[in-house]
Amino acid sequence: MEEDAYLELYLDRCAAQDDLAPAMSHLFSPVVPYDVYLSNQSSPETVFNSHLSGIKELSNDFSSVDLSFLPDELTQGNKDQNVTRNQHEIEEKYKTQNQQSKLASPGKQDTELGSNGSSLSNSHSHLYPDGADSEDSSPEKTNSDTLSLSSIASMTPMNPVSECSGIVPQLQNIVSTVNLACKLDLKKIALQAKNAEYNPKRFAAVIMRIREPRTTALIFSSGKMVCTGAKSEEQSRLAARKYARVVQKLGFPARFLDFKIQNMVGSCDVKFPIRLEGLVLTHRQFSSYEPELFPGLIYRMVKPRIVLLIFVSGKVVLTGAKERSEIYEAFENIYPILKGFKKA
Amino acid sequence: MEYQLYRNTTLGNSLQESLDELIQGSLNTDRFCDNVWTFVLNDVEFREVTELIKVDKVKIVACDGKNTGSNTTE
Repeated sequence: MEEDAYLELYLDRCAAQDDLAPAMSHLFSPVVPYDVYLSNQSSPETVFNSHLSGIKELSNDFSSVDLSFLPDELTQGNKDQNVTRNQHEIEEKYKTQNQQSKLASPGKQDTELGSNGSSLSNSHSHLYPDGADSEDSSPEKTNSDTLSLSSIASMTPMNPVSECSGIVPQLQNIVSTVNLACKLDLKKIALQAKNAEYNPKRFAAVIMRIREPRTTALIFSSGKMVCTGAKSEEQSRLAARKYARVVQKLGFPARFLDFKIQNMVGSCDVKFPIRLEGLVLTHRQFSSYEPELFPGLIYRMVKPRIVLLIFVSGKVVLTGAKERSEIYEAFENIYPILKGFKKA
Repeated sequence: MEYQLYRNTTLGNSLQESLDELIQGSLNTDRFCDNVWTFVLNDVEFREVTELIKVDKVKIVACDGKNTGSNTTE
């Protein structure tokens, strides 16, 4: 599953910063279909486009050009549910892995996560023997990886429990863009589509909403579209496809090019109050804290390039991510720092 | 006056959701074009002191006027 891939890839990256080639980095992009990319190292977008244009050449009929190459909505909906379920499972497992933070024998049901969880706990120590080489050869996913990872994990020392937070940031908003690749008559769309607003005097785009997933789209006459409000990568993609389908049903030859997630926002709670004043003093080059302007400390992390809003209450907002792993990584980076500034 | 741009923000979305909730799930569609709002509501109850009218579908067309807004229902 794609959602599996995210966490695992993040964990792999932590584990293998020096030795393992990120052979699966192309899997990171939430561009579907998943299986297309397993055997292809090129960027997901180009694969997607070539796949799409390949189909277009075959047929002159626009209606079959549309989204037929994509699974139909019913399947997609199911897949999305499955993905969401897996996502929750992964988050739970991630959490438990963090809490354990021991080299438990990978004799768990899900050996991938078992070994990867252990490798996450070792991410900070960077102690990996070269036994990781076997991963480089295989662009395929997990099985060979899990075996080599589990052998790696058993060889490396573990980190103390305190280094893992046991908290998983929850995604709150995803902003994505896609190119429908055809000029659009916004007035026609606004008049015919169901939940659309169009006020050209104020803003030169149609603002359309759908209920499931609850999202809003800005659709421009150039054919480009922005989709906001989704809570996961898959939902954002599904919503964007639904908007594209609406436009297509209104008679425009809409395609689905260059879907890209532009921003992801996550939030979580460290469950203790934080001394923001202390934090801004010691991390001056990254932080800006002006309580008279804004009650939160703005922490601009360099690696990964994420902006965190840190509040006295212990709530943290993370934004600026292009990928889910960046949110997780940023939070894992900030958590020990925040613990150092726990109040009282 | 330039509020349209903010419809896509968190606040705008919350407002839209509030609108939906206010109409208590009856809102089927809403549209805004040429400064004219069109709403379609389903299963609506119009309640006056003495009377109660139940209706399957209500279309509300509302224009923004400087002096008065004009509303028509069908």
